[in-house]
Amino acid sequence: MKKGVSIILLLILLWGVVAALSEMPFGKAKLEVAGHYTDYGKEDTGAANIVTSVVLGYRGFDTLGEVTVLFLACIGLAVVLSTLKKQGCGARQTPSLILNTGFRFLFPLILLFGTYVFMHGHLSPGGGFQGGAVIASGFVLMYLSVPKIKRLNHFVSTLFESVGGLIFLVIGLIGLKLGSQYFLNNFLPNGEFNTLLSAGIIPVIYIAIGFKVGSELSKIIDVLLEESE
Amino acid sequence: MNEIMNLNPVLLIAVPIGLAMLVPILGLMSSKIVKWVPVVGFLFNSVVSLAVLPRVLNQPIIVKIAGFAPPFGINLVAGPVGMFLAALIAVSGFLVAVYSLDYIHEGAAEKYHILFLLLLSGATGVVLTGDIFNLFVFFEILCISSYALVAYLGNRSGIEAAVKYLIQGAIGSSLLLIGIGLLYGQFGTLNMADLAQNITSFSEPSVFVPMILMVTGLGIEAAIFPLNAWLPDAHSSAPSSISAVLSGIAIEVGLYAVIRVVFTICHVTGSFFVFLVAIAVVTVLIGEMSAFGQKNIKRMLAYSSIGQIGLILFAFSLATEFGVSGGLFQMLSHTLGKVLLFLSAGYMIYRTGSMEISSFEGVGKKMPWTALFFTIGTLSIIGLPPFAGFSSKFLIIKAALAKGDLLYILLMGIVLLGTVIEGTYFFRVVQVIYFKESNNKTEPEGPPVSGLISMSVFAILVVLIGLFPNAILKILTTAASELLNNLEYIRSVLG
Amino acid sequence: MSFLQNYAYYTGAFGLILIGLFIMMTKRNYIKIIIGLSILETGVNLFLIAVGYISGGTAPIFSRSGITAEKMVDPVPQALVLTAIVIGVAVLGMALALAIRLHKHFGTLNLLEIREQRW
Repeated sequence: MKKGVSIILLLILLWGVVAALSEMPFGKAKLEVAGHYTDYGKEDTGAANIVTSVVLGYRGFDTLGEVTVLFLACIGLAVVLSTLKKQGCGARQTPSLILNTGFRFLFPLILLFGTYVFMHGHLSPGGGFQGGAVIASGFVLMYLSVPKIKRLNHFVSTLFESVGGLIFLVIGLIGLKLGSQYFLNNFLPNGEFNTLLSAGIIPVIYIAIGFKVGSELSKIIDVLLEESE
Repeated sequence: MNEIMNLNPVLLIAVPIGLAMLVPILGLMSSKIVKWVPVVGFLFNSVVSLAVLPRVLNQPIIVKIAGFAPPFGINLVAGPVGMFLAALIAVSGFLVAVYSLDYIHEGAAEKYHILFLLLLSGATGVVLTGDIFNLFVFFEILCISSYALVAYLGNRSGIEAAVKYLIQGAIGSSLLLIGIGLLYGQFGTLNMADLAQNITSFSEPSVFVPMILMVTGLGIEAAIFPLNAWLPDAHSSAPSSISAVLSGIAIEVGLYAVIRVVFTICHVTGSFFVFLVAIAVVTVLIGEMSAFGQKNIKRMLAYSSIGQIGLILFAFSLATEFGVSGGLFQMLSHTLGKVLLFLSAGYMIYRTGSMEISSFEGVGKKMPWTALFFTIGTLSIIGLPPFAGFSSKFLIIKAALAKGDLLYILLMGIVLLGTVIEGTYFFRVVQVIYFKESNNKTEPEGPPVSGLISMSVFAILVVLIGLFPNAILKILTTAASELLNNLEYIRSVLG
Repeated sequence: MSFLQNYAYYTGAFGLILIGLFIMMTKRNYIKIIIGLSILETGVNLFLIAVGYISGGTAPIFSRSGITAEKMVDPVPQALVLTAIVIGVAVLGMALALAIRLHKHFGTLNLLEIREQRW
């Protein structure tokens, strides 16, 4: 009964979507807005990576919301899991020699790679979110191999989280106060195209986001892991 | 004063988000100041939005984020509708924050204040933004913080309700995103005004299908009839201050988004409104009839919210100037009335220790002020003069009669029947509060000062708006013309 | 055949979306519902990316010389998907945290057995 109803609903959805998709063939040429971004994005924001110029330039406000959503998820997870009584830690397998050695060797490299990804967000594929996710994967490795005492310091991660977000907002507000009066306005010089120090505020914001996302994702894993022990 | 009037409306969103991110740092220094942060934030928002509101009545303020002209950048449209709702959110947020000062004393209070700030900044973002994907982002901020706040108390019912809410909400946001993707694929733009300009007819499948997807996705949050299964559980399981915000603001923001899609982006005309009116009438009946059988006060109030949402949708679907301004007026009076009811019920539940209506016997003598505020809220929601609910319901009836169509008059009769049911069950509660002697001899004390201040301001607002409805009627008619006349909207955004 | 060639990505994306929705509507185990949600989100993201594709296009990055704006695919859906992924992570994280709490409270993840609140 339930399956029948859902199949009928989904078929109606499919039929509607097919009707709508017939108006938009796959792989057709760009329309007005996208064309403007690829044609003028270089001059407007100074970033070689046009996706970055959309993410932090034209649609920077979405990214502020996105950063807020991640912050929210971190807080929400802590709320949902905070009032639980801690149960006794179950027996946990001691990590093997391979994991321990591999962790010591790989951890700095992962952090370095993550940093590279978020610092070059305006030049190559990547950015703050991707770099932060890479860094968080390093911390997952740490959780697997290091016993609980040496875990992430909550004070430091809270500080990174809040300061990262606040830097983004403050940069936006400086743009509002300086010169052109627009929130998130690019008030730094664009610099030489396709070099590390270019694209004005974009690398600064991406570095802040990188730290923030890295510490937030690690914290989410930390909170979930604490519960499962 | 002049400087406040010229402040940028983007601050209404940026300041609460910034304060929310500041709270963890403040919490490291002192846990006492944290609870004042939402109060400060929404006091700022109330002052700014009320100061800017008169200015936008003549000319909407188009805020270009990062200085890119629409449709290339994201823009905020601080028009009459947006600013009116933003002011409503800010003022109720401020008063509920004052109420929370002493009400929230269990659980992770610091995180409660962060989530509360983010919930309302998400709501403000939804009503102010002029970009459909940005609306989705702020909508998700609103939804995710509601999921977390419903589960805030961490008890069995809270977790169960949050799980149901999350499953349905997640399906809703995915449908919304598919709709946005389909619209982008055809028109290559995400700006609402630009979309509205490109859409010539809403009845072609290429526009109709995304519209239905978006209305369904947003309708889950707005609790329109077949999509409202999550609401009574979620609204009754949260702490009372949050139930107040969810019932008074969150679902109305969902409804605003539906209205924005239907009126401004797709510019719907004709028979689709008949469909919406039918759904609205069913929503009213289902909500009021379910509320009638409830013994739990918070579930009763939650079901009554479904009925009220139906009434608001009914008013909007009349699609006349009277109807739309009546709907906006009903939003205002529902927010004030329902928040007042939840807040006063919150302390009655707290002092008697039970959510059962029967346990409120004798509360009228023991907690006279709280009982009085509850009664004022009741009378306003039912729609008796001289309270705010009367003026708004009167406007809606006038709008339905002005349609002149027998069908609408008939449907209006059914809606009025819903109001009669509403009156019956609300009076039953008032009767229990005042006219039943309690066997229980313990002396419940009244609420603390912060709670009394917040509830009394709501009660005063309900009475004042009921006595002088003409004062805000100008705002409402300007807002209605913004919604009905989407050419005006397009022109003011795109120039 | 030409239909599949033209619409392969759309077919795949909506296939995932329908599978995800079907799981969420029919399954009663909460973990399975979360898996369905994850599939649904993947499908939506794939659909958004497919919307932005342009025949013969390349990544929208001016890193090497010789790349011109005409050859680039639409950058907007990629930016949107970045946002959608992050939002998806947030929702999934919340869902999993609730799953832990649900299991501690009720001792089961079967939603049919968890029905204390009714209309």
